[in-house]
Amino acid sequence: MMTGMDRLVAAIKGEKADRIPVFCNLLDQGAKELGLVSLYDYYQSGEYVAEGQLKMREKYGYDNVWSLFYVGKEAELLGCRKILFSPDGPPNVEHFVIQSYDDIHRLEIPDDITHHPVFVEELKCLQILKREVGGRYPICGYVTAAMALPALLMGMDKWFELLFMGPPEVRDELLAKCSLFCQRHIAALRELGVDVIVYANPFGSTDFVPLPYIIKTGIPWMKQDLSAGTQGIVYYCGGARFNQVIEAIISQIGIETYYLSPLDDIAAGKQIINGRGLTCGVINDIKLIDWSEEQIRQEVKRMLEAGMAGGKFLFGTILMPYKIPERNIRAMLDTVYEFGQC
Amino acid sequence: MMLEKVIAAYSEAVFDTDRDKAFEVIHDAIAQGVTPEEIVFKVVIPSMEMMIKAISEDFDANLAQHFMASQIASQVTDEMVARFQTSPETIGRVVIGTSYADLHTLGKRIVSGCLRSLMIDVIDLGVNVSAERFVAAALEHDAGIIAISSMMVHTARSERGCLAVRQLLKERGLEDRIKIIVGGAPYTWDTELYKVVRADAWASDGISAGKVIKDLIEGMHK
Repeated sequence: MMTGMDRLVAAIKGEKADRIPVFCNLLDQGAKELGLVSLYDYYQSGEYVAEGQLKMREKYGYDNVWSLFYVGKEAELLGCRKILFSPDGPPNVEHFVIQSYDDIHRLEIPDDITHHPVFVEELKCLQILKREVGGRYPICGYVTAAMALPALLMGMDKWFELLFMGPPEVRDELLAKCSLFCQRHIAALRELGVDVIVYANPFGSTDFVPLPYIIKTGIPWMKQDLSAGTQGIVYYCGGARFNQVIEAIISQIGIETYYLSPLDDIAAGKQIINGRGLTCGVINDIKLIDWSEEQIRQEVKRMLEAGMAGGKFLFGTILMPYKIPERNIRAMLDTVYEFGQC
Repeated sequence: MMLEKVIAAYSEAVFDTDRDKAFEVIHDAIAQGVTPEEIVFKVVIPSMEMMIKAISEDFDANLAQHFMASQIASQVTDEMVARFQTSPETIGRVVIGTSYADLHTLGKRIVSGCLRSLMIDVIDLGVNVSAERFVAAALEHDAGIIAISSMMVHTARSERGCLAVRQLLKERGLEDRIKIIVGGAPYTWDTELYKVVRADAWASDGISAGKVIKDLIEGMHK
């Protein structure tokens, strides 16, 4: 029987497999799986998170596991002291490290992320995942791009203000520090055996900024973030659209996997990539909360018809909302398993 | 004729997210005798309405353009209103905040800037706002609109968010007097969600919210 890693490797090489790879991104749901009421408790323990990831993968049969706890972890590594936990949704950064431009000058980037006290539980989680499913199921890590990381450190509106209206030298100082963190974070995850690194950058989407801005300003920072190479890197814009950007990213950076927006045209995206990499068709998972099982089935079939021809295709979700009923998760996955056979 | 040129030059600067150029256009116009009142009512508001119309007709504006358009327009408006001969009349008042447990401020800031440039009073309640606080502030400030911004699906759908605001308005017999508008990413991903959370209206982006709110206010005044 093929493993998730076998399917992913086959998809990358354009070879036959039993079915396309499926990346189903369940994070907070792990708490429910372990019978824990509190997401706060769940995320205090690397053992819990690893166990949640392993149980959910086993239960649903998809192809990936996550070392990511929640996105705000990166802010904690950079000094964030308070995360807001909700009972039914992802934790959020409540304390912003940067309150003034002086805080940017004072911001220190840790030399060693792997042994940072904030990283202890993620490290445990990664070691368990590696031990249990390493080499058989791709372990995913999540790294925020330099251009998007300031939003976690100062809030998105303050970052927009600095980016577009603030002193250029302060903006560039912050971007340089964020890029250094991004590079070190990627290096740490690779060293620990993460197979797939989702490189998250909403500022690489034309929903956020104009294409000329991405080409002139965004891509140079992306090149710096990814200066150690693009092996295992997945281009992802937080669910925002980027079909218009793909050509520039392939030709200038060479990333080989594109995790499209649910709002992007899958067939058009795949045509642009044109065999030069892997295309991931991504479902609008917010709709999975209310859709009927039949509606889910129809949508998954539509996506597969748009993306599967010619291979080099996988199916994915964004971060699945907590409120999606289990029967709808199963309806989505069963349909991919049925119609995603290569 | 001169005002038409000013509108065109100002709108182009806003579209290009060039704040310095936008202010240069405005200051040049003032130097040539255009009044601050004309700048607001015959340049800034028509320009904002043109952008709202363009977005409604599928013009593919991005978040940076929305942000800069609203910030430039509200900053120009603030500067001009300070020079008005008499205090301007506003067309209505809105209390705005992010929903309970939501800390994301960008959308709220874009909407607030847009509303201020349309001469709508904005009372900003900040982030993580409880339903009780939304309703109390609307009553205290005599606001006809409660605007609730949510970046995450669980805060949009929360029993303590918009649904609780609706419940309070219903219990207190305020539904005819105060309308609820919602916005933010989850509503863009699911365009029927505003009905699920029992809002009166929603907007797909911060600039369009200006028109939706203006229409709601005008509808309540009829």
